[in-house]
Amino acid sequence: MKRSGLVFGVMVVGIALLLWAGWHNLRERRLAMQQAQENHVVLVPEKAGSAAQDSQSPEAEAMQMRGKVAPAFTLATLDGKKVSLSDYKGRPVLVNFWATWCGPCKVEMPWFEEFRKQYAAQGFEILGLADDVDAGKDAIAKVAQKTGVTYPILLTDGKIQKAYGGPDGMDYLPMSFYVDKNGVIVEETAGLGSKDEIEAHIKKIVASEATAAGGQ
Amino acid sequence: MGLMRSFAGLLIGLPVVLTAQQVGNLDAPVVKPKSYVVYGAEPQSVAAGKRSVLELHFRVLDGYHVNSHTPKSELLIPTRIELQPAAGVKTEAVEYPVGTSYSFSFDPTEKLDVYTGAFTVKLPVVAEAGTHTVDATLRYQACDHAACYPPKSLPVQVIFTAK
Repeated sequence: MKRSGLVFGVMVVGIALLLWAGWHNLRERRLAMQQAQENHVVLVPEKAGSAAQDSQSPEAEAMQMRGKVAPAFTLATLDGKKVSLSDYKGRPVLVNFWATWCGPCKVEMPWFEEFRKQYAAQGFEILGLADDVDAGKDAIAKVAQKTGVTYPILLTDGKIQKAYGGPDGMDYLPMSFYVDKNGVIVEETAGLGSKDEIEAHIKKIVASEATAAGGQ
Repeated sequence: MGLMRSFAGLLIGLPVVLTAQQVGNLDAPVVKPKSYVVYGAEPQSVAAGKRSVLELHFRVLDGYHVNSHTPKSELLIPTRIELQPAAGVKTEAVEYPVGTSYSFSFDPTEKLDVYTGAFTVKLPVVAEAGTHTVDATLRYQACDHAACYPPKSLPVQVIFTAK
């Protein structure tokens, strides 16, 4: 009888401890979730003239690039070399629009560099398109150097922003397009995402199978 | 034994309940406006022929900030007013307010100098008697906590009477 009572008591204490631990864990996770929500934003591209509050408008829908073939481009690097998206036919490519005046852009660029090395064996490449109207090559090169990126930095021509962002160009930065081996945009993100999120998107395009009909 | 099995069942089920309560939706779409600063136009009166200061009232939309006129990095685009010449009005150098310190949550080490909420730009003028309109453009570049927006131009009309 005494032994049963002791066992029961130990179990009650154990349950109480587990419940406390569970509650504590839940509280911590809720705080973390709240923080993540505060720092996380998913932007929906809007088109000029579209209703600002109508995220489901046809115009907003039309601007989604996901599932579409990535628009082709040939642009010059900082040292004048021509680079085309088609040069990477059959390879997964991250097309990232950024600018020298964009703080969030500069946060993720070192992450991109890290992932570029990590997934190089799978043919993964990043093309950084500088969406700077007024900044000169020197300023762009300075930021690229400061962020430690070695992937190609391309100078935009005004047309490519419209091809990817709509008639008015890019509405916000950073803007990234994850292009699979078949040249299809499988993910499109606007604003700074988390590092894990970026890697998940990269994994998706790295894992894609190239088809004979596809390619950039 | 039955009692122990019940407790065991409770323990196994507990994490499932806790996990289910943690699921949230982070993908709710957010639509961004086309303009991040608004101008509050209001008629003003000044003394004719004397140096007077006009006030231009602006407001940065909630949740956004723009660089001040003196951002802390040469790469950042400062807020500035571009004035058009107006007959009968001599303008002097625009006076900008001081900014406030700001850091992105993801990069607390970098301090920015920004305008948020309401800010007032002062425009010293000497005007002939009569009603005048000075056309101007506010150039600014806005960001929120996770994204930045291309530089914008906000047309501004400063209407005032010199008596």
